[in-house]
Amino acid sequence: MITQVTESLYNQLTRAYEEDCAVQAPHPLGELRKLAFERFKQTGFPTVKWEDWKYTNTQPLLNQPYTLAGADQPLHADLALAAIPGLDAYRIVLVDGVFSEALSDSVPVAGLTVLPMEKAADELAFTKHFAEYADKTDNPFVALNTALFKSGVFISLAPNAVLDKPVHIIHVAAAETPLFTQVRNLYVVGRHGEMEIIESLVTEDGAAQYLNNHVSEIVVHEGGKLQHYALQVAGESGNYLNHTEVYQEKHSLYNNYNCSFPGASFVRNNINVRLDASEVESHLYGIALTAGNQFVDNHTIVDHLKPHCESYEWYKNITQDTSTAVFNGKIFVREDAQKTNAFQQNNNMLIGEQSAVYTKPQLEIFADDVKCSHGCTIGQFDPEALFYLRARGISEAQARVLLVHAFAFDVTSRFANDMVRKYVEHLVEEGL
Amino acid sequence: MSTKDDEMLKELALEEYKYGFTTDIEMDIAPKGLSEDTVRLISAKKNEPEWLLEWRLKALRHFMKMDMPAWQNFTLPEIDFQDISYYAAPKAKPKLNSLDEVDPELLSTFEKLGIPLDEQKVLAGVVAVDAVFDSVSVKTTFREKLKEQGVIFCSFGEAVQEHPELVKQYLGSVVPQTDNVYAALNSAVFSDGSFVYIPKGVRCPMELSTYFRINAENTGQFERTLIIADEGAYVSYLEGCTAPMRDENQLHAAVVELIALKDAEIKYSTVQNWYPGDKDGKGGIYNFVTKRGICKGDNSKISWTQVETGSAITWKYPGVILKGDHSVGEFYSVALTRNKQLADTGTKMIHLGKHTRSKIVSKGISAGTSHNSYRGLVKIGPGAEGSRNFTQCDSLLIGDRCGAHTFPYIENRNRTATLEHEATTSKIGEDQLFYLTQRGIDPEKAVGLIVNGYAKEVLNQLPMEFAVEAQKLLAISLEGSVG
Repeated sequence: MITQVTESLYNQLTRAYEEDCAVQAPHPLGELRKLAFERFKQTGFPTVKWEDWKYTNTQPLLNQPYTLAGADQPLHADLALAAIPGLDAYRIVLVDGVFSEALSDSVPVAGLTVLPMEKAADELAFTKHFAEYADKTDNPFVALNTALFKSGVFISLAPNAVLDKPVHIIHVAAAETPLFTQVRNLYVVGRHGEMEIIESLVTEDGAAQYLNNHVSEIVVHEGGKLQHYALQVAGESGNYLNHTEVYQEKHSLYNNYNCSFPGASFVRNNINVRLDASEVESHLYGIALTAGNQFVDNHTIVDHLKPHCESYEWYKNITQDTSTAVFNGKIFVREDAQKTNAFQQNNNMLIGEQSAVYTKPQLEIFADDVKCSHGCTIGQFDPEALFYLRARGISEAQARVLLVHAFAFDVTSRFANDMVRKYVEHLVEEGL
Repeated sequence: MSTKDDEMLKELALEEYKYGFTTDIEMDIAPKGLSEDTVRLISAKKNEPEWLLEWRLKALRHFMKMDMPAWQNFTLPEIDFQDISYYAAPKAKPKLNSLDEVDPELLSTFEKLGIPLDEQKVLAGVVAVDAVFDSVSVKTTFREKLKEQGVIFCSFGEAVQEHPELVKQYLGSVVPQTDNVYAALNSAVFSDGSFVYIPKGVRCPMELSTYFRINAENTGQFERTLIIADEGAYVSYLEGCTAPMRDENQLHAAVVELIALKDAEIKYSTVQNWYPGDKDGKGGIYNFVTKRGICKGDNSKISWTQVETGSAITWKYPGVILKGDHSVGEFYSVALTRNKQLADTGTKMIHLGKHTRSKIVSKGISAGTSHNSYRGLVKIGPGAEGSRNFTQCDSLLIGDRCGAHTFPYIENRNRTATLEHEATTSKIGEDQLFYLTQRGIDPEKAVGLIVNGYAKEVLNQLPMEFAVEAQKLLAISLEGSVG
C-alpha cells in the first residue's frame, strides 16, 4: 500500500524524471534511463512484504518531504570530519552527491582516470560497463538511481598500473533543506592493476535530514586487485541506501570492508559479488556498531558461477541502546562451480536491552564437490570474562571496550591498510 | 563423474518402492469437488455435532478467500481442488467392536505393511497402533489396556463423539483454521486422524502409533491429529505412512497439534515414506503438512523427530511455541531426496517464556536431481530472558545435479538470549570411503555406513523399532550412491 505522502515523493520523482527528459532530449543515456524508470514504476518502492525488505521498512523514510536537487555548490566543506590520521591519499570530495572539482585533489597519475560521472560518458570503460551489472538486480532503488542520477565518481585504472596511494572519496552531506540524492559510481580496475579505494560518509553540522541513494558498480579485470573500504561516520540526519555491485574476472581479488558506526539513522547496504570466472577470490568484511535508535541492514550476495573460486565473508554486529541490526548473507554455488570454497560467518553481540538482531545466513548449493559453511551466533558480554578483567583492576567500562575489541578483532585484523585499521579500532572504542 | 558412479546413480534411481501395491476393496467415495456441500457431507458421515460443522465451514470460507503462497523454494504445482475426492472409506459395518469384524482385506494390507493389528501377534505389546486407511481409522489396538491408566487413544471421529469437551477446547488452539492455506483446507475437510489424551501425572505405558495408508485413487488424505499431555504426563508418539504407486499426484494435507501442559513431555516421531514418484518425477504424494506444538506450561517439553524419505514434494515445518518458562523444544530431522523429489522443510522455534531452550539438528541428503531445503525460524521474543538456541543444519550432496539450500531466519529481541547456528555442505569424503573400502567393505555398504553415521544424531532420537526401520530405509534409498 502506498500512502498519500509517499505517493507524493513518487510523483515528485516522476515529474523530475519527465523534466529531465524534456531538457536534455538527446541524452546519451536516454534509453537506459527510460528503461530504468519504467522498471522502477513497475515495482514502486519496496515494502516489508518483499522478502529482501522484510525487516527494513523504508516507508517512514520515504514519507518525508524532500527536494531532489541541491543548492549551488559550497566552496568549502568540513573535510576534517573524514580525516583518517596518518593516511596519505588522493582526495575526492562530493558535496550532497555532487562531485566537487574545486575541493578534490587533481590526480596526475599515469594510468588513473578520475572524473565526475556526468563527464565520463565518452570513456571506453563507461560505455562498456555502465548499468551492465547493478541494473540486472531487482533493487528498485538501483533503477531509480539509473534513471535520475546527476553525479558521482568515475574511476578507471589502466592495465598493469599499481597506485601508490589510496583514493579517498569523501561524501559530505551539508544541505540545510531535506534532500534526496542519487549518486552513481563506476570503478574499473584494469588487468593486473592494483588500487585501494576508501569511501567516507560524513555529515556537516546543521545538515537537514537527507536520504542518499548510492549505487556503485565495480569491475575488476583479470588479475586485478581492489581493496574497497566504506566507512559510515555520518550524523543522525543521515539515511543511506547503498548498492555495490561487483563483477570479477579471472584471477582477480576484491576485498570489501564495510563499517558502520553510531551516526546515520538508517543504513541499508546491498553488496553483491559475482564470481563469473575461475580462480577468483572475494572477501567481504563488515562491522556494524550501532547506538541510539539506529537501524543498520547489510544484505550481501556472493554468487559463485564458475569453478575454483574462493569467498570469505565475516560480519560482526554490536547493537547498543534501542538499535537494530539486520544481516542477510546469501551464498549461491551454481551447478558448474565445482571446487568452490565458500565461508560465511555472522556474529552478533547485543548490548542494548531494547536492541534487536535479525539475521538470515542463506546457502544455496547446486554443486556437490564444494566446501561451504556458515555460522551465526548471537550473544552478549560474557559475565565471566568481565569478572576476570574487573578482578584485575580494570574498570567495567574499560573491560567492555576490551571485550568489544576482541569481538571485532576477527574483522579488524583483516584490514589491509594499517591506518584505516587503527582509525576503525579507534571508532569502535569511541562508539561504545 | 565416472561411469561407474553413473551406473550406481541409475540403480539408486530405480530402487523400488516396496509399498507401492494397491488394495482392492469396496470403497465409499464421496463425489469429487469442494464446496459447502462436501463439508456438510463429511460432517454428516461422521455424525458430527453442529459446532464442529460450523467450525469446518468457517475454515472453508476462509480457504476460498486465500491465495496460494509463492515464497517456497519450489514451483507449487497447480492443484485442482475440485478434482479431488475428499472422502474415501472402506465400506464396512457401522461400528467395529473386535478385530473379527474388520475386513480381512484390510487386515492383510496392514499385515503386508508390517503393521499387525492383532494384539496377540504384537511382541509383548510394545506399541499401540491406530491404523488409518484413506479417510477413516480402521482399528486402534490396545485401547482397553490404555484405558486402565486413563489414557485416551482413539480415532478423531470417536473422540468427537466420546470426548467432545476436550476436542472443543483444544482443536485449532495451536494451528487455527486461518493459519495457512493447507491448514484451512484440512480444517474444512479433515476426515479422521488420531486423538490422544494423557491424564495428569501419567507416563503412557507404551508407544502410541498411527499408521497412515492412502489407497483410493483421486483422493486426498486430510487427517488431523491432536495430542494433549496434561500436567506431568509423558507420551511418545510415532507416525508412519505409505501409499500405492500411481501416475497422478495425490495430496496429503494433514494438521498435527500438540499441547504440553506444565511439566509434560511429548515426543513425536515420524517416518515418512509416502510414494515419491518414479525416476522421472511422475506421480507421488504432495506432502503439505502443518505440525505445531505448544509448550503451554512451565518445564514442558516437545520434541519432533522426522525421517523424510518419501513424497514427491515434502513441505512442512514442525514447530514449537515455547510459552511456558523453562520449556524445551527440539527438532531432529533427516530428509533424503532423490530423483526429482523436492523437500522444503525445517522448523520454527518461537521463544516466549523465560529460560526456554531449543535445539535443532537437521540433516539433508540430496541425490540425483532433487532439491532439499532447510527453512527455519528461531524467534526470541522480548520477554524470553536467558533463552538458548542451538541450530545445526548439514547438507550432504550426492551427484552434481542436485541442490541443497538453507534459509535460516534468526530474530532476536532479547539481549540475554544466546543463539548459535551452524551449517555445512559437503559430499561423502573420499578419504572416509577409501578407509572403509580398504578394510574390505564394498563401496555400497560403505556409503550406507557413512550416511547412517551422518544421520546418527537424529536416528538416535527415534524409538528403537523405528530407528531400525529408518536405518534400513536410508540404506535402501542410498544403495550404490558413491558420489
